[in-house]
Amino acid sequence: MLELYFAHVNTMMNLPEKSDVAIAGGGLLGRLLAWQLLEAGHRVSLYDAGSFTESASAAHTAAGMISPISEAIDTEPLMYDLGLVGLEQWPQWLAQLSVESLPVHYAHQGSLILAHHRDQSLLQQYAHDMKRQLPESAQGQWLDKASINALEPDVADHFQQALFFSQEAHIDNRQLLSALLTRIQQLGGECIANTAVDVSANTIQCLDAGTVKQVDCVLDCRGVGAKVQWNGVRGVRGEIVRVQTDEIRLQRPVRLLHPRYQLYVVPKLNNEFVIGATQIESEDNSPVSVQSALELNSALYTINPAFAEARIVEMTSNLRPALNDNRPQIQYDNGLVKVNGLYRHGYLLAPVVVQHVLDLLQGKTTNSPFNDVLLKPIDVSQKRIASHA
Amino acid sequence: MNTETIQNDPLTLYGEHLSSRFLLGTALYHSPQAMCDSIAASGCDIITVGLRRQSPKDNSGDHFWQLIRDTGCKLLPNTAGCKSVKEAITTAEMSRELFETNWLKLEVIGDDYNLQPDPFGLLEAAEQLIKRGFKVLPYCTDDLILCQKLLDVGCEVLMPWGSPIGTGLGLMNPYNLKTLRERLPHIPLIVDAGIGSPSQACEAMEMGFDAVLLNTAVAKSQQPEQMALAFAKSIEAGRSAYRAGLMEARQTASPSTPVVGQPFWHNG
Repeated sequence: MLELYFAHVNTMMNLPEKSDVAIAGGGLLGRLLAWQLLEAGHRVSLYDAGSFTESASAAHTAAGMISPISEAIDTEPLMYDLGLVGLEQWPQWLAQLSVESLPVHYAHQGSLILAHHRDQSLLQQYAHDMKRQLPESAQGQWLDKASINALEPDVADHFQQALFFSQEAHIDNRQLLSALLTRIQQLGGECIANTAVDVSANTIQCLDAGTVKQVDCVLDCRGVGAKVQWNGVRGVRGEIVRVQTDEIRLQRPVRLLHPRYQLYVVPKLNNEFVIGATQIESEDNSPVSVQSALELNSALYTINPAFAEARIVEMTSNLRPALNDNRPQIQYDNGLVKVNGLYRHGYLLAPVVVQHVLDLLQGKTTNSPFNDVLLKPIDVSQKRIASHA
Repeated sequence: MNTETIQNDPLTLYGEHLSSRFLLGTALYHSPQAMCDSIAASGCDIITVGLRRQSPKDNSGDHFWQLIRDTGCKLLPNTAGCKSVKEAITTAEMSRELFETNWLKLEVIGDDYNLQPDPFGLLEAAEQLIKRGFKVLPYCTDDLILCQKLLDVGCEVLMPWGSPIGTGLGLMNPYNLKTLRERLPHIPLIVDAGIGSPSQACEAMEMGFDAVLLNTAVAKSQQPEQMALAFAKSIEAGRSAYRAGLMEARQTASPSTPVVGQPFWHNG
């Protein structure tokens, strides 16, 4: 029964050439999909409740790590398999942008996992979880003090041991978001800012103006903003600090294990560093608390005391969009595709999610091993109730 | 017969009868779904919930809290992370309002790193909160005098640690724990914190503790749901063993098969 429905939707979803597509949400997913659909020759309108240049999306706040191994250890092994698609896809996408003179900093330099001497057991546990859950190809490498120093001379001397995941990467997220916006505009995509919308099959409605637009397909990429129309989407609060200093250089993300927090420092352009992130089950989007600021800054300080003289250029909180199982999901029906739940893995999982949405829109029946995990037809019974309401 | 015995053996806390002797925490799971599955597998009646101070007052509408409510378990709010009496009381009042219960797991933390309870602050906070109408379940060390004083100020349940929170070191000081059990025979005692494996939980139950509260060992396991089930079984096993009466360890081997028919001189 489900299979029949699945096949049916796939056939119907086959977007004809030069279709009109409306996308709600101009964060990472919205921009990537808008860009790819424009490149494929479709007409795209991209709506955002806020601004495109000063984006309020989680993707703007994020640190931009593409770390399938660390994320899999922290959450579940599935993230490793999904994330590998990301590691493969990002360089290709960025090459495409680079041809258009839109360079985006992407470093495939691995990442370093550290623990203070008294928290060595956490590093052992981390290695144990890695060994047990992940394949041979994902096993990190143990480093001693000298090797840590050779890789990252600016990491403080008191770290005796580290794990190194050479496959992992990181991306300058803000440079990417801005490059995508430029490219979307170059390709004639219409970007409509400060416009909250409601989505339904083939229809997008601007809430303030009350105007309704009919299109061939609507994509809902609003993250936490989709909550009103997707029961089950929740926000998970995260807080970050962004500092700037010329005294310290890091080539790669450094994660610090601690009994209660997971902290990381990710180098950005212009000698900036993002330190994150708290993870609080709350949809409170108020400014960073003193407690979190203390935790984040003291972690930074222990990685190198010279960070004490860095300048805090930003402290922000935001909400990660998540579903109950903290996995991404693509819900689809004729004329409507809803994508959500990338949680704390936005840059890691965007490629695999975008690929699946594009395949779905093209009516491709693929043998992707992730179809079962990612794709969910919008429940028929739920739809019936909604239409009678 | 066995099932009946277990059914006739409810855990009674502040006059309320509970069928499970396993209390589970709701932090640190890799997803809310994993948390809900673990709670279901554990069969527990009581789950602890932490209230981070950042949470807004109106977070009753938040999806996560709704999931917690939907488990159908009795909620035991805790004052996790509070370091002073005043902070603990403020958090307790907020929790009472939010979760609509006067039950409280009282934590007053003395050491920021290993989250060791501050016995002095704990006693003072317990006294004040009981006056304010709370039913306090204090997270305490295994010190007999502290436990007696907590009872003096009106606590009816005690929750001594096995070892510091999140360490998984198990029952670090069995002598102290046995002393508590012997000296406070009629007080419900719950081992809270430090339990890392089902065998440690079982050991606590065999010692006669009334229940076990834990979080990290389940939440951070690679298969939380399976681990919750493992703990549920071990806690039940430990309780049954305690009720059945454990044999005393003996210095010499004693055959469990009858020796009738063997010549007496072989017994020497």
